[in-house]
Formats: sequence, C-alpha cells, structure tokens
Amino acid sequence: MKSISIAIKDLQILIKDRGEVIQLFLLPLLFIIVFSGALGALGGEDEATLLALPVVDLDGGEAAQSLRTGIDEAGGLKTELYEQSQAQELLENNDIHRLLVIPADFTSGTEAGNQVNLTLISHPDADIQETEAVRLVIVGVVNELSLESQILASLRQMGDMQANAPEEYQMFTTDRVLAQARSQFETSKTRPLIKVKETIPSQEGERPIVETLGLAAVSGIAVLFVFGTAQVTARSIYDEKKIGSFRRLLAAPMSKASLLSGKMLPNIIVGLIQFAVIFAFGVFGLKWLGLSAPTLGSQPLSVLLVCIIICLCSTAFGILVAAIARTENQIGGLTSLLVWGLGILGGAFIPIAFLDQFLGPVVKIIPQYWANRALSSLMLRGLGLTDITTELAVLLGFTAFFFLFGLWRFDFD
Amino acid sequence: MSAILEVDHLEKKYGDFSAVKGISFSVEEGEVFGLLGPNGAGKTQTISMLTGVIPPTSGTARIAGHDIKSEMDQVKKVNGLVPQDLALYPTLSARVNLNFFGRIYGLRGKELKERVDDVLRIVALTERADQKVDQYSGGMKRRVNIAAGLVHQPKLLFLDEPTVGVDPQSRNHIFESVQRLNRERNMSVVYTSHYMEEVELLCNRVAIIDEGNIIAIDTVKNLISILGGGVIYIGLEQVDDSLLQQLSELPAVKEATLTLPPAQPPLPEGEEPQTEAEPVMPNPIVKIVAENSQQAVVNVISFLNEQDRPLTSLEILEPNLESVFLHLTGKKLRE
Repeated sequence: MKSISIAIKDLQILIKDRGEVIQLFLLPLLFIIVFSGALGALGGEDEATLLALPVVDLDGGEAAQSLRTGIDEAGGLKTELYEQSQAQELLENNDIHRLLVIPADFTSGTEAGNQVNLTLISHPDADIQETEAVRLVIVGVVNELSLESQILASLRQMGDMQANAPEEYQMFTTDRVLAQARSQFETSKTRPLIKVKETIPSQEGERPIVETLGLAAVSGIAVLFVFGTAQVTARSIYDEKKIGSFRRLLAAPMSKASLLSGKMLPNIIVGLIQFAVIFAFGVFGLKWLGLSAPTLGSQPLSVLLVCIIICLCSTAFGILVAAIARTENQIGGLTSLLVWGLGILGGAFIPIAFLDQFLGPVVKIIPQYWANRALSSLMLRGLGLTDITTELAVLLGFTAFFFLFGLWRFDFD
Repeated sequence: MSAILEVDHLEKKYGDFSAVKGISFSVEEGEVFGLLGPNGAGKTQTISMLTGVIPPTSGTARIAGHDIKSEMDQVKKVNGLVPQDLALYPTLSARVNLNFFGRIYGLRGKELKERVDDVLRIVALTERADQKVDQYSGGMKRRVNIAAGLVHQPKLLFLDEPTVGVDPQSRNHIFESVQRLNRERNMSVVYTSHYMEEVELLCNRVAIIDEGNIIAIDTVKNLISILGGGVIYIGLEQVDDSLLQQLSELPAVKEATLTLPPAQPPLPEGEEPQTEAEPVMPNPIVKIVAENSQQAVVNVISFLNEQDRPLTSLEILEPNLESVFLHLTGKKLRE
C-alpha cells in the first residue's frame, strides 16, 4: 500500500508538469506522423522504379510463363532468365541483388489447385526499399494469377462433373457458376494459391520480411519514448534526494524495497499508457490521416506482454541511471546518450532488418533493438509469442542486469 | 520520569573520517533536548542514525525501549523527523503533502483527515492548506515541513535546524508550536540548532557537540554557570606565568589562562573577505573567567595599570551558551 501511495504521489506530480506530459504523450505522435508519412512516401516512389528481376524458372510451364509476362507487363520490373547455379553465384557475389525462383511444380500445382511457393531471395546488402518494391509488384501479379488459376481450376472441376453426369445439367445453372466464381474470389483473398516467401541468405532460417518503413515507425517510436521514461524515474529519485523528502521516506516505517518499488511503479504505468496512446494513434489515427497503419498482429495479448516487459526494462534502466548519475546534468546527459542515442541505433526510425545489415552485431547489445524486434515480429510480420522467445529472454536479461547493477550502486544514504 | 531516548556510544565513520565519535546521552520523556553545535559538528548525522536514515558504524540507541539496530521498524513508528531541508513536494498543496506523509505512516480515511486537519491547525495553515507549497513564503514552508513530521503523532520528534532561513515571525510561530506540543501533548523533542538563543529558549537540557564529540551536557543554567559571571578576553604585549597567577588571585576573578584569539567562523559560501589583511603575529590573549564580569574588569584594568602593562584589546562576553561554546571549544558558533 505504501508503494502505491508513493506511486500515486509521483503520478500527481507528473500530471502537474505539462512539459513532461507533452514530451511523454504528444511528442511521440508528432514523430509518428512525420516518420510514417515521410518513410511511407519513400517506399511509394520506389514502386515506380524500373528494375531488372533475375528469375530462375525451374518449371518452364505455361503458368510460369504467364507469371513472367505478368511481372513484365506490370510496368515496374523486367524479368531476366538465369540458370540456377549461375544465378546463385551472381547473388552470392552481389552482382545481382535479388532473385525470384519459380519452383518445378508451379504449373502443375496451380492447375491442380494446390498451393505453391515462389521464393524471392535478396542479398543481405540489397536495398531494402527496392526489395520491398519488387515484392509488392510480384505479390500483385501473383494475386491475379492465383485468382485466375483458382477460377479456372474450379470451372474445370465443374466441367468434369457435368461430363460425368450429363443428365444433371440443371445443377450447373448460371447462378451456380457465378456463386462458385464469387466463392473463389473470397478464397483467393484469404488462402492465395501462390505465396511469395522472401528470404535473406545470411539470416537464420527463412523469415518472411513484410515490414514497411512507415509501419515500422510506430513500434520504433513507441519503444524510443517508453525507454525515455527511464529519465522520469531517474529524475524523480534525484528530486526526492535533492529536496530531502527521500530522507523523510527512509525515516518512515517502510522497507527500502517498498520505497524503490513505489518509485518504479509510476514508470511502468506511464510506459503502458504511452504504448496504449501510441498504438491507438498508430492503428486508428494514421488510417484517419490517410497513412499506412499497422495492426496489433494476430496476438494482441502477446503484444501486451511485450509492452509490459519493455516497461520493466525501461524502469530498471531508470534505476540504473539514478544510481550512477550524481547531478541533474548527469541524468540529462546519460539519458540523452543511452535513451535517445541507443534508441535511434536500436531501430526507432529505421527498420531493424536494415539495422542488421548496416550495423551488424553491434545492435545486439542495445535493449531497444530487441524490443523493436519483438514488437515488429508480432505487429508487422504476423509472428506469434513462440517466435520471439529469444527477444523476450534478452529483454528480461537486460532488465535483471539494469536492476541488480542499479541496486548495487544505489546510494540510499 | 523514564528515558525515551538512550544513546550508547553511537559512532558513524566514513572511511577514516569519524563524523560522530561514540557519543552517549539520554532524553527523558516530555523533555525538549537541544543538540547545539556549529555546521558539520555531527548533529544531522546523529539524528540520521537515530531515525534510521543511515546505519550507525558502531554503538546503538534505544527509543521508547526499542533498539535502533534490531527494532528499527518499531522505532520509526515512534519517531517523527523534521529534516533540515524543506522535504516537501512543491507542486502539490500542503494538504496533499500531509495526506501523503500520513499514508506513508499507515493512516487512512477519517483518521488521516482528522490528523491532517489537526496538524494544519497546529502550524496555523488551515486556511491556506489547499495552496501549492511553492506559493508559500519560506516561513510557511517551514511550518508545513514541521506539520509533515507531526501528522502520525510521534512520541519523539527530531527537529533538525527547523528555523534556517525563516523570518522572525515564523520563527516565533515555530517556537510556540514546539512549546505547545511539548506542554499539551507531552511530546519529547530533540532540537538541533546552531542558534544558541533558540536552544536557550526552548530546551530543558543541552548537549554541546563539536567535531563529532559531545563536549558538555547539562541544563542551560548549569552550562552557563561554568562561566560564572562571564568571560573577559584581554590582549597584552607580553604574558608570563607569574602574571597569570596574579590575575587569577584578583577579587571577582575565577580563573586566568593564556589562550589564542577566538577563531572566526567561516564566511558564508561565495562571500569574500572585505579586506586582505597581512598576516601578523597576534598578541597573547588572556582569558579570564569572572565571578562578576563588571567587578572583574575594574580589578583587572587597575592591576594592569599599576603594573604598567598596556592593553592591546579587551572583549567582555556575557555568560550564555555562545560564550560557553567559545570557552569550551575556542570557536564561535556560526551566526
């Protein structure tokens, strides 16, 4: 109860500080509008750029030919045929930046109504925006082809049935055929016959990358600003010590653990409110403004769990800063460096796939990087909780380290 | 009357530096006890150990029968602390501040409201209780600071330099509050200050503390009586043992000793000395403890004239805690 009293008091103080409230809740929204709009526009321009698309056609059938023609006619890309071994070598040397592989069963699979996978392989150094543009063109053509194949397969199936039972011709009325076509339209939206898998050879396994620059800004900026609340915790503890109330609290009948948890609780609450405000704005506000808006993915509760862990990590980080910094200027300097500097390097404004390629293993020592990875995996890549166990474990490890190191260095006297 | 506070060889060390050097004293129930000493003497460190803010290096104390080392939780319920700093949240109102400190001591609901109203009455701030603390004058802030230490009705109240930076009117108000709490509620008080007149006015007994040691402890009256009728400092060009002997045998003179000129207190931070005087070898100073200062001055000056020994300086100190402190430590309390 005493911890809660401290937390309520700290929140009362925080609410009365208008500047702080603006920085915590309104500034992130402004950042999101600017970065979602600007980065989204960058992605849009690239879609119009004419690019060569190396293709390895292992099928050679009619559907594969239709696919290549469709891509060429789409206007943004020009397909170029390669032998598989030659293409692999060129890709490894970065002489070509990406490669579309049409599998051997492409024509037979689509004709039979079976799902087939196209693979878009990109070099680790390939321009992520260009790759995204290429992917979008292929997906557009594939969707049309997928629908066409599904309708043809369906009509072929109906024709076969009619041939086998000519006396039942009344079953194949115009209405019945149209209904079947509509059904195929819906099915093609939810279960496309042809899927595009995207891979980067240097990354573990085959991870589909579907994040776009604009969408990544929402989770990136949320992580940046929630880690920024570490400054609120550190400053709140510093202020208590400066005005002498910390001494008064130490003289009160409460444990040091209660005192510290009371100082940490507001940060967790503020962090969760920040996530709620930023995500609500990201999901609904951006759409209202006509910009690309992310979703919470298929597992909103997993997103909530990640948010709680990020808030814990940020709070523990605040305790560490409060323990290390001795003056107000040191708190400002440390948080600017560690929160803003590392936040930007950890993927606040740049999608993490790009950071992986640009900064290499360095980003892996930045907690914000793991927070961004966890959130973008859930919200942008459609992955689930089981896919981000590494990210969660690393974040919890950072949290434990910050808290224990901060506690060790904390000056209660 | 039993002791509410018994301090037993309490010591606080930081590395090789001893801030408090094994002090012992006791405070009776219902007593207002003064800790008088200059800045840095160890008063705040002593209070910090007794209130659980910092642990002692060695020694212990018992408050209301509870040991501060093994039963600090019980001790904290009995104690009230009014720190030297204005330990309040400036953007919150006095009432919100007091509600918070009351809740920290476990008060809730009706009881909390009654206690907050009560302490606001004690410090005469009921009408302005809902105003933000940063809109108060320095004296009013000090009064809220005291109220925050009273809200849980402590048996033993530690007031650490409660009048620093306070206007005379608020200072008188604080004195009245302390006296009323002691008189009407039998609250025991440990009052630290470097203002000797405050301690003389409020305290039954006083411990004089300097450089971490208690150098005298008694009632104000008994401490002042150490100096008899006062102290006279006379500067002479030359002093020898026979002169000191002759001076000490004069009527109305209790004692005559050779001493150094009293050390001046340090200047406030940032303040420069008005003139840069050349260092000179001071004339010897004789300290005379008088039974009657006026009679002693007449006798001493007559004697020195007869001996043809010119005076280079003369200072007469009336007997009070300031002169007692000077007598015991050779230093002045900082004003």
